Amino acid sequence: MLTRLKTRKDLMTKKIDERIPANSGEGAGFKTFNAVQSPWNKLMSYQDALHYASRFEAVLSAAVAQAYRIIIPDYATRASEMCKEAYARLYRTGLYYPNDDGFGIHPFMCGSYPGALIGDKGDDALLMCGRCQDFGTYRCEKELDVCDWDIVGSELCRATTMSLQGQADATETRHRKGHKLDYLMVEAKGCGDRHCRIIAESREKYPAPEHELWQSFGPAVSDEYKKFTPEEECVAESMMFREECDYHFVNGTNNETDSSNQMVNLSTAASLYLLPAIDNAVKLGYTTAENAEWIKKCVLEAAGKAMFGERYAIKACREWLGVPNTIGEDGRLLGGVIEMLLQSLVCGYEIEAFNKDEVIYVINRADLAITGTQSLCEAHLYMWNGMVKTLVNAQWSVWEEDSPKGKMRIKIAKKIDKFM
Amino acid sequence: MFKNIFKNDEWKRSEHMAVRECVGYYLFTHQLMEVTGEEANKFLDYVFPNNIATLAVGRDRYTTMLNEDGEIIDDVVVMRMDEDRYWVSTLYGTKADDWFYYKSEGYDVETYEITEDWHMFSIQGPKSKEVLNSILSNGVDDLKFFQNRTDEINGIEVIVNRAGFTGEKFGYEIYCGVDDADDVQDAIDRAVKEAGGKEITEFQVFAWTLPTEAGFYYMRDLAHTNPFEVGLEKNINWDKDFIGKEALLKIKENGPEREMLGFEVIDENEDFYIRAKQYGGPGEPIFIDGEEEEIGRVSKMVYSYVKDVNNGYMLVKKGKLHIGDKFKIHGYDCIVTEKNWL
Repeated sequence: MLTRLKTRKDLMTKKIDERIPANSGEGAGFKTFNAVQSPWNKLMSYQDALHYASRFEAVLSAAVAQAYRIIIPDYATRASEMCKEAYARLYRTGLYYPNDDGFGIHPFMCGSYPGALIGDKGDDALLMCGRCQDFGTYRCEKELDVCDWDIVGSELCRATTMSLQGQADATETRHRKGHKLDYLMVEAKGCGDRHCRIIAESREKYPAPEHELWQSFGPAVSDEYKKFTPEEECVAESMMFREECDYHFVNGTNNETDSSNQMVNLSTAASLYLLPAIDNAVKLGYTTAENAEWIKKCVLEAAGKAMFGERYAIKACREWLGVPNTIGEDGRLLGGVIEMLLQSLVCGYEIEAFNKDEVIYVINRADLAITGTQSLCEAHLYMWNGMVKTLVNAQWSVWEEDSPKGKMRIKIAKKIDKFM
Repeated sequence: MFKNIFKNDEWKRSEHMAVRECVGYYLFTHQLMEVTGEEANKFLDYVFPNNIATLAVGRDRYTTMLNEDGEIIDDVVVMRMDEDRYWVSTLYGTKADDWFYYKSEGYDVETYEITEDWHMFSIQGPKSKEVLNSILSNGVDDLKFFQNRTDEINGIEVIVNRAGFTGEKFGYEIYCGVDDADDVQDAIDRAVKEAGGKEITEFQVFAWTLPTEAGFYYMRDLAHTNPFEVGLEKNINWDKDFIGKEALLKIKENGPEREMLGFEVIDENEDFYIRAKQYGGPGEPIFIDGEEEEIGRVSKMVYSYVKDVNNGYMLVKKGKLHIGDKFKIHGYDCIVTEKNWL
């Protein structure tokens, strides 16, 4: 068997199949952001690419959330640790990388209410569209109609609220003394509600008993002021993709941003919350680093396999990528999926091989490690290895091999492993 | 159903009415640009459509700032501090900073953002003059509207400027160094409370309800409008060259396509729900009988505590609505009004 494998490897030519045009798949949108392009020249618009990347990363994040649930089975403990970690990290980030101007936060805005401006802009960038309903020194309200992260789990809903609290509290330190707001997610799509709704309220004006960070779910004292948007008036796209806003995100303090930098700045639930939460769980002794990695691998491979478990999913994927009928079951199918994702994330990569026997990409780790979370690269690798088993067949695997420094060189090829 | 966040809020009402009936103060530090140099006057006269060349030392002037399309990108107060030194008070510092940098090429000027060096307290209301006279060494009896000068509070050098964003006849701004802000605030706080006033803490009061009653604009109200649409064309100096003049002349010739009008909600249901641009986003669309398409959007939706009415601004197609017309926004009965509730 070993001999046969060696022979097969030697026969692989590292050849790149001809593409028309020759630069197809290099990332048509890298400079202009007009579109991303499959290896078979199927174009996907910038807007679709952003939606695709956002949803794929949400699915990956949901799988990482399951790993976290295995590591810390108790809900309250898990949510509490996740909230504490998210609050502390985003508070530090807010302290060291202030960007008041970028959010339309003005010098007279004292207290933590300007934090709502950070959340408002961040939501729109993550395609979590909705509307700000109230913005004041003592009360803010934001309602979301869409959230790609709603499949991840309610612990995430709690942690995102606490990251916002961390940012808001950090912002407060840069201004004269003001009034502190308690940020609550009183409705959450991740809990089955129609909307996500954050209400931030001052305990000075709206007194309530103190609560733990992870219990920032309400109910709000000022609930009677809530503005509920009915289904028929909900929106499906961020302001930056809506004509009525001239394709800009615009907030009440005159901040305006178009969509041109969102692909490069896309953050994910896994990179921003879940993987750091798992790292923190290891530090706190809930599990070992080895076991945490093993659990992530198991869960993410299973999630990857589930993506193409049904034949219709494979057919749909082939059509979506524009795969010619002449191409059968081989690693190029997964290669196409990976390339679309990498382009959608504006992640640099080189194609070392792309043929019926093997596909090799050399991916910039720094680009794929969204928000600087290095373990997100491995998370993708685990997921891709699961996906290839059902998208192509179980003879195929995806693994990392001979990576240069700063790169992740992944190979999609047939592999026999009796302990797989 | 949607409990009115203004009408039923006694906290906001008391802060608002303190300014209208007595005196209120609040931190209102804007972003500040300093423009210096022999050609500072010439440069600012080119950047702003209103007349800056004639501004005397120690006086202020309100003006819009336009882009080449004649679109308002900011509205500011220009303060002439010395012969060749101006302050520009803005709430769009990031844009003004870049704009000044690029547009100052060829002029003998330096532009700096000095926001981090200063704080500004706004003291507004009928008793503000009494308050200022009690804490300033020289007092404000002879200080004219839009006049600024150096003075002292307990030995701390400050700049007092007679101006405001509330529509009050008497309103002042105290500029002080950041390190002096605690002491200056203590002095103001004590004097205001002795006069029966209070600190105004609610953003919605000092940024929205007070200025709107007086017909003033705030940030998003003016975004992507031109001076003719929002009634700010009166003081433009057409005899000089300024950025946006060419485009604005065409608008002047053809007439503006839209206009900013006031409105009140007169619906029996006081707990209504009307979205406005002040929160970001597009604002509630406005439809009227006989028009298939929307005629405009709601720019602002607040409350006049003086008149006890739900009031706002809307940017609509010119000539489609007139003062006194009744119409609906999001199903709620409204009436067109002037933009002034004082």
